[in-house]
Amino acid sequence: MIKRFAFAALLLVCTAAPLAAQDWIRTGTGLGVEKIRIAVPDFKAASADAQSPALVKTFNDVLWNDLEQAGIFEMVSKSFYPLGQFGGPADIRNDAWGNPPPSASMVAFGNLGVNAGYVVVQGWLFDVKNPQSPQVLAKQYRETASDENARAIAHRFANEIIFRLGGGIQGITETKIFFVRTTAGGKEVWEMDYDGANQHPVTKLGSISLSPRISPDGNRLAFSSYYQGGPNIHVWSMELNRLLNFPKFGGTNLSPAWSSDGTKLAFSSSRGGDPEIYTVDANGTNLKRVTAYRGPDVSPVWNPKTNAQIAFVSGRTGLPQIHTMESDGTNLQRLTNEGYAVSPSWSPNGQFLAFAWIRHYGPGAPGAQDIYIMDVASRQWVQLTHSGGRNDFPSWSPDGRHIVFQSNRSGSDQIWTMLADGSQQRQLTNSGVNTQPNWSAR
Amino acid sequence: MAADADIFESRDKLGQPLAVSLALHALLFAAAVVGPSILGKNTGEDWGGATSGGGAMSATLVSSIPLPSRPDATNVLANESKGLSESQPKPEVKEPDAIPIPDRDVKAKPTPKAATPTAQKPVPQREVAEADNRVPFGQGGPVSGPYGSFHAGGAKGGFGFTGGGGDFGSRYAWYVDQVRRKVSENWLKYEVDPTVSAARRVYIYFEIDRSGSPRNIRVEQSSGVPSLDQSATRALQRIDTFGPLPNDYYGSNVSVEFWFDYRR
Repeated sequence: MIKRFAFAALLLVCTAAPLAAQDWIRTGTGLGVEKIRIAVPDFKAASADAQSPALVKTFNDVLWNDLEQAGIFEMVSKSFYPLGQFGGPADIRNDAWGNPPPSASMVAFGNLGVNAGYVVVQGWLFDVKNPQSPQVLAKQYRETASDENARAIAHRFANEIIFRLGGGIQGITETKIFFVRTTAGGKEVWEMDYDGANQHPVTKLGSISLSPRISPDGNRLAFSSYYQGGPNIHVWSMELNRLLNFPKFGGTNLSPAWSSDGTKLAFSSSRGGDPEIYTVDANGTNLKRVTAYRGPDVSPVWNPKTNAQIAFVSGRTGLPQIHTMESDGTNLQRLTNEGYAVSPSWSPNGQFLAFAWIRHYGPGAPGAQDIYIMDVASRQWVQLTHSGGRNDFPSWSPDGRHIVFQSNRSGSDQIWTMLADGSQQRQLTNSGVNTQPNWSAR
Repeated sequence: MAADADIFESRDKLGQPLAVSLALHALLFAAAVVGPSILGKNTGEDWGGATSGGGAMSATLVSSIPLPSRPDATNVLANESKGLSESQPKPEVKEPDAIPIPDRDVKAKPTPKAATPTAQKPVPQREVAEADNRVPFGQGGPVSGPYGSFHAGGAKGGFGFTGGGGDFGSRYAWYVDQVRRKVSENWLKYEVDPTVSAARRVYIYFEIDRSGSPRNIRVEQSSGVPSLDQSATRALQRIDTFGPLPNDYYGSNVSVEFWFDYRR
C-alpha cells in the first residue's frame, strides 16, 4: 500500500519536472562556410604634404569600416600584424601574413599621397595563401585633395574588393539612405551615406513629408506629404532639386513604392472612402485600383525580381497582417496569421519579405515590435531584432545583405542598420528624431 | 443505545495512519527536491543545444541570404580569435628514453638515426608518381585538377576546374574559393527527400562564362535519388553570377565539375 502511494507520488513529480524552456536562443548553424579573413594594414602616407596625415586617417578609417560592414569578411585584428609599414607589393611577405598570428587569406594595402592639390591612392589586394600569383587586384585613384574625396576613394576601393570576393555582388559602400527627420518646421526628407556620414536635407517644403522612396535609377524621390493639402503623393527630382508635376488623387494618399524597373508606383489611397491599393505609371497617368475589400489596405511593395507581385498590409481580418497578391489583384495570400504585422519590404532577390511584427499583441502581452524576415515560398520566418524597444520600417540594401530600420531602443527614434541575419546592429543617426529609412537601389 | 455510545466512546488508533501519512509526505518532499536534479539532468542544454528544435530560428533560411553563415555559435572563443587558437602541428620533440649515461651507449645511438632516413626516402618518390590522381585522405575527389571541398551539416561537396589550360585553380585560388563558398551557401539541404538518410555521390557539370554566370548545368552522374539530384542542380540554378572571371584570364569560360555527398 505504502509502496504504491510512493510510486504514484514519484510519478507525479517526474511528469512535472522536465518542462524545458523553448526559446529563440538557438542560433549556430555551422554550415561550414567561413568568412574570408582579411587584413587591412593602414595605408602608408606617400608624401610629406601637410594635408596628407588627415586624409590618410580618413581613408584608413572608412576602408576598414566598409570592409567590416560588408558582412562577408572577418577582419584580422591589427594587433596581430607584422611590424612596419606596407605601402607597396615589395613590403608584403606572404608567409608573414598567411601564417599565425594573422593567418589572413587576403591583405589589402597601399599608399596615399598628396601631389599639387591632388590625392593619389594606390591600392592592392593580395591572396597571401597563393604565393605563385598573389595579386587579385591593383587600383589607382586620383582626385582633388579633400576629405570627401578621400572618403569616396576608400568607398570605391572597398567596393572593388567586395565585388571580387563577394561572389559578383556589387558592394553598397556608395549607396545612400533616405529618411524623415523631424525639424522645427515639420518633417523633411533627408539623405545620408550608407554609413551615416554626410547627413543633409533633400526637401525644404516646411510641411510634413513621410515615407520617402528613391526610384531605382536614383533620379526621383517619391513621398507622401501634407504640402498644399493632402496628404498627396509627390515626386521630387534629385537632378532639378524641385518637385515634379504629379496629379492629386483626392483622399489620403500614403506610402508610394517604385517597381524595380522604375515605370510604376503603387500606393494606398482613400479616394474611394476605404484605403485601397492603387497602381499608377511613373508620370501619374493610368491609375488602377487593385484591391477592393472592406478594411484598410496599405503599405504596398513590389516584388523587385518580377514586378508581378505586390506585398501589402491589410486590416480586413482585424489587426493588420502581411498579404501578397499578383499586381492585378488576383491570388491573394495571407502570410502572417497572428499579432500585428506592418511595414513589408521585399528583398532584392525576391525571396524574402522583411517586416515589423508584434507577435503577441493585446493586453497582457509583452508587446515588443521586432524586425522579422520571411521566406515567401516556404513561409518560414526568422526574428532579427530581439527585445530592444520598438523596431519598424525595415528596408533592404541592394546587395540583399543588409537591412536598415528605425528603432527607439536608444531612447528616441533613430536609424539603425544590421546584416540580414540580425548581427552587427549599428546606430547611424544620433541627433533629433529620424524615422522611415529607405535604402537606395544603387 | 449501547451501539451509539460505542461510536462516540471508542477510539481508533491513530498511530499507524499517522505514521504512513508522515512517511508519504516526507517521500513526496524528497522526490520534489531530488527528482528534478536526477531526471531533468540536461534541461539546461536545450537552450541553444544542437538537438533542441528552436522556436524561431531556422538555419536553412538564413543560409540563402548572400552572407556567409555564422560559424558554430556554441564555441565563441575559439572562433573569435582563430589566429591564436588554430593549432599548429606540434614540433616533434624526441623524448629521451632516459638520461644518457656518458660512459655507455655512445655507439648505439647513431644506428637508429641512420635507419630512419633510409626508411623515409621511398615515400616521397611514390607520392610524386601518384600526384595526378591522388585521392586526399577522407575526402575522395573529382578525377582531375585543382579542386576544393566543403561541408554542410553532415553533407559534403567538392569540385574540380577542368578549363583554362589546367592552371586556373592555382592561378586564381581566390576565385575557386568563391565558387565553393557560393555553391555551398545556395545548397538547401531541406530540399532533399527527408526519408533519404544517405545517397551515392552526385556529379554536376557546369560552365562559368566570362560574366561569371553558370550555364549548361547538367547532372553528369546521378545519385539515384531524384530529389538530391534536383537540389544540387537547383543550388547552381539559384546562382545568378559568381562574379566576372579574372581580367587577366584569357579563356572564354571555365568548366567545373561539382560533386555533392549527402548524409543526414
